[in-house]
Amino acid sequence: MTDSQLAWKNLWRNRKRTVITAASIFFAVFFALLMRSFQLGAYDRMFRNIIESYTGYLQIQHRDYFDEPIIDNSFELTPRVTEKIYSDPNVNTLVPRLESFALAADESRTQGVMVLGIDPEGEEKVTGLKSKLVKYKLTPESIAALKRSSIPDRTKKLLDVFLNESYSSEGRLMLDLNISQDDSADILPVLRRSASFRNEYLDINETDGALIGNGLSDYLKAEIGDTIVLVGQGYHGTSAAGKFVVRGIVRLPAPDIDNIIVYLPITGAQELFAAPSMVTSAVLKLVNNDDENVLQTGNNISKQLEQPLAIRTWHEMNALLINQLEADNRSGMIMIGILYLVIAFGVFGTVLMMIAERKREFGMLVSIGMRKRKLAKIVSLEMVLIGILGLAAGVVASLPFVFYGNSHPIRFTGEMGRMYSDYGFEPVMPTLLPDTYYLSQIVVVLIILLVAILFCVRKIFRINVINALRA
Amino acid sequence: MAVVQINNVYKAYHDTEVEVKAINGVTLSFEKGDFAVVVGPSGSGKTTLLNLIGGLDQPTGGEILVAGHRLSELRPSELIDFRMEHVGFVFQSYNLIPVLTAAENVSFIMNLQKWPKEKRKVRTDELLSSVGLSDRHNSRPSQLSGGQQQRVAVARALATHPEFILADEPTANLDSKSAESLLDIMEKLNHEEQMTFIFSTHDIRVMKRAHRVITLEDGKVISDELSF
Repeated sequence: MTDSQLAWKNLWRNRKRTVITAASIFFAVFFALLMRSFQLGAYDRMFRNIIESYTGYLQIQHRDYFDEPIIDNSFELTPRVTEKIYSDPNVNTLVPRLESFALAADESRTQGVMVLGIDPEGEEKVTGLKSKLVKYKLTPESIAALKRSSIPDRTKKLLDVFLNESYSSEGRLMLDLNISQDDSADILPVLRRSASFRNEYLDINETDGALIGNGLSDYLKAEIGDTIVLVGQGYHGTSAAGKFVVRGIVRLPAPDIDNIIVYLPITGAQELFAAPSMVTSAVLKLVNNDDENVLQTGNNISKQLEQPLAIRTWHEMNALLINQLEADNRSGMIMIGILYLVIAFGVFGTVLMMIAERKREFGMLVSIGMRKRKLAKIVSLEMVLIGILGLAAGVVASLPFVFYGNSHPIRFTGEMGRMYSDYGFEPVMPTLLPDTYYLSQIVVVLIILLVAILFCVRKIFRINVINALRA
Repeated sequence: MAVVQINNVYKAYHDTEVEVKAINGVTLSFEKGDFAVVVGPSGSGKTTLLNLIGGLDQPTGGEILVAGHRLSELRPSELIDFRMEHVGFVFQSYNLIPVLTAAENVSFIMNLQKWPKEKRKVRTDELLSSVGLSDRHNSRPSQLSGGQQQRVAVARALATHPEFILADEPTANLDSKSAESLLDIMEKLNHEEQMTFIFSTHDIRVMKRAHRVITLEDGKVISDELSF
């Protein structure tokens, strides 16, 4: 009989204890993996949302722009630079931006605004700006029309609560008006008829067109077709002034940007700020967005850029968010640490019971000629088998949930759903597919097991045979 | 030549401030084929003496020679090997491995000694047959009576042809019939294989069967009588 066969038999001498110990490891691993998967999945989604809706994974900037984001730190995006950037096979699209500040005025109000000159089609590819155009608005007229329609009473009651509210997605509208997925097929056509908002996107050739944030539109009382005046400082101290026609209103996730944003076609912005061919950043859309490829592409491009250009990664551009999520991540880790601590005590309890229960047997085995090293090996094998049973079961059981959670994320409704929608994110919490976090959970359990085994082995090597035989 | 030679052995404990001499200057020898019992009141040093002979404990004075080995000179790991090769143990409470069958328990030490499988099987069959359990090969200890378990323990002790068997109160947990049956088997093995048995016991049935009765009191041998 081999040592492993004996260990396996010993494992089932107290079936309940073995099952309870393996089950405790199983549940710890299972829940820890699910918790991590949801937490990391939420972070991943949040990063991708922000990166893909604003910063992009990589940006080319003037080397001083990151610390001092003023128009004087802009650069000329020459065909030579563009060619170098496109020479990396991982670069899909390059989108130029010219960003500065100005005063915006409508008929009676003035507001300091952020002016972002963009390539409308390129920006749509990188950040999906077109999808943020306001599609519905609950004006007094549209609410009155909806109240006369056949939509359910519970939806009608909510209409006044959201008077003058704008929506860029049907999802948020459905959340606010408490429209279920089942009812959506009947109600949405009515909403489209009564509350649709006429909106246009920017045209690169129409240099006097502008898109403004919904918050800014409310403040300036600027409607589609109105003219706004922008006054500010241009490139190298020149004065900047221009008139622009509001072509569309966008609703952006971050209210502090939504209240001040003005999008212009980049040519219009360059003309306004007297900075022809200049850009403050060039945002890169990549073919492959995983961290390794982003860094690799960044390094490749960085080597080819000449002074004063520099490449910025999404890590640098989102340092604040990364720090915030790190802090949140630590709280998650503490929760999991507590979970594992409980399990560690459980495993140690089992070890202590097992040693106490089998003390005489250990004494007998050593007295008839089994070396303590061999005895320790057999008992360690028993612990390893219990651990592997619990660990493997936990990992295997978590996989279907993690894969399902990734393809069918938890969908938030109510306040949580609104909060996600307000930030322009789909109100869902997906899991993160198995990654290195699986490995770290496995390593933690193995460390707990290793400590338990070392404790057990130490006990065995310290056995006094005569005392053990009397036990 | 003596199988076991004990020369002026002492064993003192210092559990309290007072030194307790569990064995106090014992000199004895056991020859091959001895069927000896060590008797005496509780605390007289019977079990301590057996532990010293079996290499489970070390004397604080004197020397014990077993099969040419001076036990005090052996390191702990060498003592374990010594016990495996030269001593068979039978314990009061059987101490079989509960997860193994009778046959697996008997072949356990042969397994530790890495005997070939076929040789182990032949020896196991032979031993289980000699203790009258040839039909209980696959029974677990929990499926055997106390007497049967103790017979398996005897078979296990004999498995690797030790120099002698140390049996500490082997009949203490057995009813009369089982005890007599066990003693019959041990006596038979003593006659037929010249196996040396050294018992410690309070049991009068064992004393009656013994060929030699050594009486201990306060760690000293107060009588050593042959009783054929």
